[in-house]
Amino acid sequence: MSAAILTLVTFVPLAGALLMMFFPRRDELARWFALVVTLLGFVLSLHLPLHFTRAASGFQFEINIQWISSPNIHYHLGVDGISMWLVVLTTFLSPLCVLISWKSVHERVKEFFILLLILETALIGVFVSLDLFLFYFFWEASLIPMALIIGMYGHERRVYAAVKFFLFTMIGSVFMLAAIIWLYARTGSFEYTAIQRAMQSGQIGWEAALWCFLGFFLAFAVKVPIFPLHTWLPDAHFEAPTAGSVLLAGVLLKMGTYGLLRFNLGLFPEQAREHAPWIITLAIIGIIYGALVAMVQPNLKKLVAYSSVSHLGFVVLGIFSFTQAGVDGAVYQMLAHGVSTGALFMLVGILYERRHTFEISEFGGLATPMPVYATFFMIIMLSSVGLPLLNGFVGEFLVLSGAFQAKAVYGILAATGVIWSACYLLWTYQRVFFGKVNRDANAVLPDISARERIALWPTALAAVAMGVAPLLWLNAIEPAVRAVLSPLAQMAEGLVR
Amino acid sequence: MPQNYVPIFIFIAVVAILIPLTLGIAKLVRPEKPEKAKLMPYECGVDPIGDSRQRYTVRFYIVAILFVIFDVETIFLFPWAVLYKALAWFGFIEMMIFLTILIVGYVWVWKKGALEWI
Amino acid sequence: MIQAVDYIRVLPEIVLTLFGVAIMMVEGALPPRASRKPLGWLAFVGTLAALAATVYQAGYPGMAFFGMVRVDSFSIFFHFLIAFIAALVVLSSFEYLDAQQIRGGEYYGLILFGAVGMVLMSSAVELVLIFIALEISSISTYVLAGFRRRAPSSIESSIKYFLLGSFATAFFLYGVALIFGATGSTRIYMIAETIQGGKHSAMVFTAVALMFVGIGFKIAAAPFHVWTPDVYEGAPAPVVGLMSTAPKAAAFAVLLRIFFAAATPGWFWPVWISAALSMTLGNISALVQDNVKRLLAYSSIAHAGYLLVAFAAARDIGISAAMFYTAAYALMNVGAFAVVSHFASAGERYVTLEDYAGLGRRSPVLAATLTIFLLSLIGIPITGGFFAKFYVFSAALKSNLVWLVIIAVVNSAIAAYYYLRIIVLMYMRDAREPAPTVQNVSAPLGVALALTVAATIYLGVLPGRVLDYASRGAALLVR
Repeated sequence: MSAAILTLVTFVPLAGALLMMFFPRRDELARWFALVVTLLGFVLSLHLPLHFTRAASGFQFEINIQWISSPNIHYHLGVDGISMWLVVLTTFLSPLCVLISWKSVHERVKEFFILLLILETALIGVFVSLDLFLFYFFWEASLIPMALIIGMYGHERRVYAAVKFFLFTMIGSVFMLAAIIWLYARTGSFEYTAIQRAMQSGQIGWEAALWCFLGFFLAFAVKVPIFPLHTWLPDAHFEAPTAGSVLLAGVLLKMGTYGLLRFNLGLFPEQAREHAPWIITLAIIGIIYGALVAMVQPNLKKLVAYSSVSHLGFVVLGIFSFTQAGVDGAVYQMLAHGVSTGALFMLVGILYERRHTFEISEFGGLATPMPVYATFFMIIMLSSVGLPLLNGFVGEFLVLSGAFQAKAVYGILAATGVIWSACYLLWTYQRVFFGKVNRDANAVLPDISARERIALWPTALAAVAMGVAPLLWLNAIEPAVRAVLSPLAQMAEGLVR
Repeated sequence: MPQNYVPIFIFIAVVAILIPLTLGIAKLVRPEKPEKAKLMPYECGVDPIGDSRQRYTVRFYIVAILFVIFDVETIFLFPWAVLYKALAWFGFIEMMIFLTILIVGYVWVWKKGALEWI
Repeated sequence: MIQAVDYIRVLPEIVLTLFGVAIMMVEGALPPRASRKPLGWLAFVGTLAALAATVYQAGYPGMAFFGMVRVDSFSIFFHFLIAFIAALVVLSSFEYLDAQQIRGGEYYGLILFGAVGMVLMSSAVELVLIFIALEISSISTYVLAGFRRRAPSSIESSIKYFLLGSFATAFFLYGVALIFGATGSTRIYMIAETIQGGKHSAMVFTAVALMFVGIGFKIAAAPFHVWTPDVYEGAPAPVVGLMSTAPKAAAFAVLLRIFFAAATPGWFWPVWISAALSMTLGNISALVQDNVKRLLAYSSIAHAGYLLVAFAAARDIGISAAMFYTAAYALMNVGAFAVVSHFASAGERYVTLEDYAGLGRRSPVLAATLTIFLLSLIGIPITGGFFAKFYVFSAALKSNLVWLVIIAVVNSAIAAYYYLRIIVLMYMRDAREPAPTVQNVSAPLGVALALTVAATIYLGVLPGRVLDYASRGAALLVR
């Protein structure tokens, strides 16, 4: 069981998608089937945290089979404390995506759910691959269904957004491919651990390693996105259908930060250390810039999109602070952001289904007709702001303390980001929910339905649980992070001596 | 072995010198009496009717092409004839195969009606 | 002397010729109004027989006909590929010829005769024989290009291809003459010995350059690529599927033999420059095309460039990477042109990008098929195109051709854009009014498409066996 579990978790959605292709064209059937498959995936993925040895730092549930002999590519899966939670996050969000698209997708329904399931497999694959080639494979594979979801089911300018998304990511990732091939050419292996060993033994020159570092960095920076490569994100988010936005913000962006942590830090610690200052600078610019742009957004969905830019800045900052707290916080922030921003996009999508607009000025006083909705929005928004006892707080707090340890200036500048985010989110909340209902259309809006409730409850519960008992998550994350940071720590000691 | 090509270059040089030389000498030696009739296509005095570049039927081309094809292919028979003894049965069979393919082409042309004038 | 085994070593050529001759005979006997479909089936059986002959032949490696033909894994690889392509093209032609109302059994005969030339090109190890094979394949394709006799663009295509093609083969012949002058032989392995033994005279370098010009034309590598878009635009779509793949594969085989087996010097920089130029010019020109056939023509120029990157790489891995690339590229391109030919309908009316708008909705299976080929052309994982690029790039990186790889990588990013445009049009735009009608896919075409899709995915998921075979061929080639 333990050897096959990752394969199962990864490929159950794909198997579902393949089965679905042969289904008759009945929308209701497709919806239910997709829900069952994603739920099955989630239940299977729960096996991971339940049987995970928390104290260990290495990879677990490993499976390693040769796939292609020349080049030497292995089907090598495994998770550590970092990637395990990202897998669970993906399987957690997927059924919610199905629920939230229940009614909002009404054309080519079957195809939509097929794409969604393929996307889920690709996303999980990215997190569990320990073979660089396999990683790249899933990485690229995630691109197509996402671009199609945006391009086929999005709003007016969907084609532009889909193409922009595809090209940005594609151009970034070809450089990563070049770096991966180069590493293979030098070390003769695609295995993560083998390459790591080769790097540590100094088999690869500093200069060359730097180029590889930059190749990886470019691909991940586009995905995160790090300022100034973020311009595709607001477009993609704005044009994507709700489920697309949820997975985009909740999981796809984490592929970037996960990659930074796993590959840029894991494989090239020296280069990362050398280049941390400007990367952190970009991250801080991203935090503040994203927040400021979010503040002036008249459009609710773009506001959430820019808030993602800001929050992901925290994650990058935490990763490149090279402190235990900072990186712990970054990983935690990834999970928290996945839950809360995913939920925010769902909430915005629910509103759009009712009013077909994202303009904040179109709303006002919604708390009166939609009290339950307003409550959910409040919880999620507060978790995004970083209120203590909700999930956002833990991540941001740890990142900030890490940043302070690294350099006080970083901490101070980043902390302003927290303030900004409180400003724009609370202000938005006030504009949308409080005051008088000044538009007739808003007065009669129905509150959320049972189905939407089912989709929202898990996120709200997760937000609270992650805020109250962070240790449940952190005790698995910490050993993995320590392992990533150990070469950096040794280097630091060397410098002190 | 570029030196093997030296004769060719000598030949080119001789041509390049000889032609202008002979033309030049002729120009000097010959009597020159320009006259209108000398510029006409037919010096016998018959006036040409119309443009000489006119369209004529495509059949001529087909016949010409077919002639060239079947004529040129017979060239391959000569080396075989010269080495008939040396090649023996192998040569004979190969040549028959070659001729068969040629005949298939001929039959095809015939069946397609390319040999009929109308 | 000649033995029976010699004939086995040219068995695919013999089989294809016999079937071609039979088709020509039957064609003459058929009444003019009769359907030519049976001839197509005869041609298909011929290609299958050639495939079987290739498999049989694989058990008898060695030299034949006074050392002019050589059967080894290298040539078997190409024989198989070419016969397979010919089979696919025959299958995808039935419906096309019906739609265009072209009645001519010669069409199938010419495909087979062309295949004879291409197959012979890949197994010939004597330059004059290579030249003859090249001519056999070229002349068939010249005629095939003009097969839509009523369309002026097709005639233009045929004449352009013929004039420039004969010009290019003349270059090749001149190169052969010079290398004969320099080394005293036209046998590739004898040339190798002479060259390895002695110093390289200027004549050898000139000869290599001239032969590269001749073959460069056939593979549509820049700067000898100018004919490609016009010819591909005018020629019948399935024929373009054939001539953008099979003769190219054969020409690459020849080029590999000349460069690596004959160990000729001085080709590195010309190939380097030509590769960089082909990729860049091909991709950038493709960006602005709005005719699918022209777009794919420019894309085929770009792909020739990627392939040449493998040539510039070290010999052991470069050759096998190039072989793999030819196979993967051939399959996806034949498939793409099969879709294009189906969609073009009578008179090739629908060949602009606009016509593809909304195809995803009107005929989802066809659109999905084309998408797979386009993704493979981009080089997205689980398609053959990905591994093809992957092997080429890794071969080049192993040989430290970092700049060439960077050019290639940037180019493949550019290329993604125009392939993507078609996918975007198919899935994300609505069809213009009135929408082009799409006929149902006929059974033979369906089989051809299914085969190409399956092969493309097979190469993308389990490339090991094909690559292993290619590596074995490569090892034998350099000896």
